[in-house]
Amino acid sequence: MRARTGLTVFLMVLTAVVVQTTLINQLQFVIPDLVLLLVILLALTRLRPEAVLGVAFFSGLLIDLLGTSLLGLRAIVLTMVAYAAIRTRERAEIGRVGVALWVGLLTFGGIVILALVGTLFGQGTLLGSDAVSRMFLVPIANTILAALTAGLFVRLVDRDASAFRFT
Amino acid sequence: MLNRDAADRTLPTLITLLVIGILLMTFDVRASGGGVVGVLRTGTQTIVAPVQKAASYVVNPVADMVQSLANVATLRQENLALRERLAEAEAELIAVQDESARLDLLEQIYELENAGSDLRRTVANVIGRPDAVSLVIDKGASDGIAKGQPVLDTNGFLVGSVHTVTQGSATILPMIAGQDGVAVVIGEQVGILMPQVASEEMRLEVRDARIPILAEERVETSAASINFPAGLPVGEVIADAAPSLDLLTTRVRPYSDPDTLRLVVVLAWPPDPIVAATGADAAEETTTTTTPSDESTTTEGG
Repeated sequence: MRARTGLTVFLMVLTAVVVQTTLINQLQFVIPDLVLLLVILLALTRLRPEAVLGVAFFSGLLIDLLGTSLLGLRAIVLTMVAYAAIRTRERAEIGRVGVALWVGLLTFGGIVILALVGTLFGQGTLLGSDAVSRMFLVPIANTILAALTAGLFVRLVDRDASAFRFT
Repeated sequence: MLNRDAADRTLPTLITLLVIGILLMTFDVRASGGGVVGVLRTGTQTIVAPVQKAASYVVNPVADMVQSLANVATLRQENLALRERLAEAEAELIAVQDESARLDLLEQIYELENAGSDLRRTVANVIGRPDAVSLVIDKGASDGIAKGQPVLDTNGFLVGSVHTVTQGSATILPMIAGQDGVAVVIGEQVGILMPQVASEEMRLEVRDARIPILAEERVETSAASINFPAGLPVGEVIADAAPSLDLLTTRVRPYSDPDTLRLVVVLAWPPDPIVAATGADAAEETTTTTTPSDESTTTEGG
């Protein structure tokens, strides 16, 4: 990862974490998971897969450090989601709708894994009292956001104006 | 479409990161949030809290506006209900002022002094929500806030306790997401209130239950609680329940909803951290027992 790309990704992660922890989690109806979305979309860029996994791990660790959950819990969940995204990204590159649905499915998988691993480690209350609705609303919100921003995000990280333009 | 490097070291990287993650989780469990993990947490929050504080000044009005738009249909009814409550509260205030004047007079007559039992209260703004359950507030150690202090909402209902503290911020863990139960009292019976997964209701367990508990009974913190002062309102019982053998279980709806909080009140309890720390040490010392037969030491307090 070149320094400039690294700085761009770092700033994006920081912005996503700050917006997620100040604005998004205050809203009760619109609840995308920006950090999870960013990690999934990074798999579509030209970043090395190992770098994507590393960014996913440290993004999760940052959220863990800011919250009250077990340290490392979100880190391993985001890493697993990033791995799944890297392994399946070729199937997503069929158009805007395909990418959006792919993001939605991975987001759903991520939340299910978070709930499962959290329960295993005695953090069953991690998703809050509205865990079931969150399990469906967050993937839907991420799907919509991905449809709107995936192309722009990839072009921004790769600094390639022709990247990810669907006809 | 995309040109990527096909060299695949992805799986070894994944396994390495997963192992590191599980090790971190194990450290965190064993250190109970303290030690190196606690230092890391505090350090990160110290760095990020000012950014969150600045961002909250900008985004809180936006969040309020979006919430208001979402709730616009119920605003008229809410206004009417609030006006009624205000009238009731004003009537109660006049009654309390009368009683307060009588109390002052009686204290003067009998030469009584204030026992000084009032706890210091710090009002703080919620500036962030790192995850679905916890809250970040804009007051920290420099404002006298310490780990473990009880947190209330503006109506005086119990919310939870302080989980992590930095100089300028603190993280609150609501009781509906905590790992430990809350010792509560319902009438004359003492029980434990436990959080439930994916529910805003809590489960009440009363051992040695003697009499039934009825719906709408008030649940308050018990004097047996080591984490909260006695008498803080927690919630109300949802369903009637009778003892089965000597155990009684029912559901409780907490009065406070952490999702809607914008302001919280932190109680300086125990009143003086230094005295409390000394007291806690003393308590640990007094509960440390040594078994002569095997020379092992068991600590029961904490």
